[in-house]
Amino acid sequence: MSSEPAPSHLIRCPVCEAVNVDTGDNVRCRRCGTHIPHPRESYYRTWALLLTAMILWIPANLFPILRIHTIMGYTDNTVVGGVITLWDGGSYLIALVILIASVLVPILKFIVLLYLLISSRFPVRHRRHVRHRLYTLIEIIGAWSMVDIFVVTALSGMVTFDSFQIVAGTGATAYVLMVFFTLAAAIAFDPRLIAQHYHTQKSKKASSNGIG
Amino acid sequence: MMHQKTQDDLSKYVMCDRCNSLYRKVKLPAGKRARCKKCGAILYRYDPAYLDRAFALALSGIIFFVLANLFPLIHVGLWGKEHTLTLFSAISVLEEGGFYIVAIGVTLLVLVIPLLVIVDYAVLILLLKLGKRPEMARRLLVSLSHLIPWSMVDIFTVSVLIALVKLSGKVTIHFGVAFWALVIYAGIDLYLTRARRIGTLWEIYERRYHVQ
Repeated sequence: MSSEPAPSHLIRCPVCEAVNVDTGDNVRCRRCGTHIPHPRESYYRTWALLLTAMILWIPANLFPILRIHTIMGYTDNTVVGGVITLWDGGSYLIALVILIASVLVPILKFIVLLYLLISSRFPVRHRRHVRHRLYTLIEIIGAWSMVDIFVVTALSGMVTFDSFQIVAGTGATAYVLMVFFTLAAAIAFDPRLIAQHYHTQKSKKASSNGIG
Repeated sequence: MMHQKTQDDLSKYVMCDRCNSLYRKVKLPAGKRARCKKCGAILYRYDPAYLDRAFALALSGIIFFVLANLFPLIHVGLWGKEHTLTLFSAISVLEEGGFYIVAIGVTLLVLVIPLLVIVDYAVLILLLKLGKRPEMARRLLVSLSHLIPWSMVDIFTVSVLIALVKLSGKVTIHFGVAFWALVIYAGIDLYLTRARRIGTLWEIYERRYHVQ
């Protein structure tokens, strides 16, 4: 089996993984017929989705996602607050899982996508493989940020006693939307933007037209 | 060079989804898999029994999906009172609390999309086995790759367990029939959506309908 770095004019179809010849605009996959848009489109779409997600991250973390009613009144729990409560209660493993899935993963995704988007603008041709792996990493772990929302769903569905009740908090809506937009941003990102030279060539042309 | 290669030649190549290296495909003996030299990711494999296995799993997956939704997942008790958690009750609690976006999100990610994925799979494999309706099979394959990133039953199952850990010591907990059905269903969903790449199915599609 011979291995070679993929020539820049070949692309993998995001839908069916078939190898296609990249003609720039209006590529139609030879196998599944999917329209593969120009990476320029992906660049702006990813920025828009990512910025939306980053803005939503603020209310998602500031507002409580959980409210616990007991006979003594109620307490509000933010995402980070929930991790601290778990840690203090001695559930170190679960606290770590939640910390990684709902606090670190979204931040990691923001940083990686920002890095990928910004580096696609500059001629940093090296570390292409590293950047590719970073992208696959955030694609795989991304969905796990939803854990917190599902935990809240399960808790509020189970604990509906008169003396002890758990309900979702105002931050939950922002949190769902934040995870949705980060996932959408990762999907919208076109790995061709990692294949550096491609974008710089196009962006020069585009900027002379006043687009880029 | 590569520029002169015809469409037919392109189907002999495969691109690593983790690091974008290009390989020429070779024939593999049954049960073997080809790995990327650079990053170790699985490129493709030859698994002649895949269709039969996936079909059996998809059918049982539908049965377990029904079971997981009909019966109670968890019984929780506090001071003589007992509540049961079902998927529907958890979602309706969110909806009654005014968390419409969260409720819609959970319904889509845990109920609707996983069901669509598994039904899509079952119908698709039936078509592939019969060798009929290539256009419908193509559409099913394309929708499958759009649906898979949004199927989160596995994450939901883990979240229910985390919720139980959070409640331990505060209420009494008994597992319901549906919980075990959910675990099996999540396992099947995991196999169908994550264990094989979508390209595997496309290759079977190409062979069955002699596309190219």
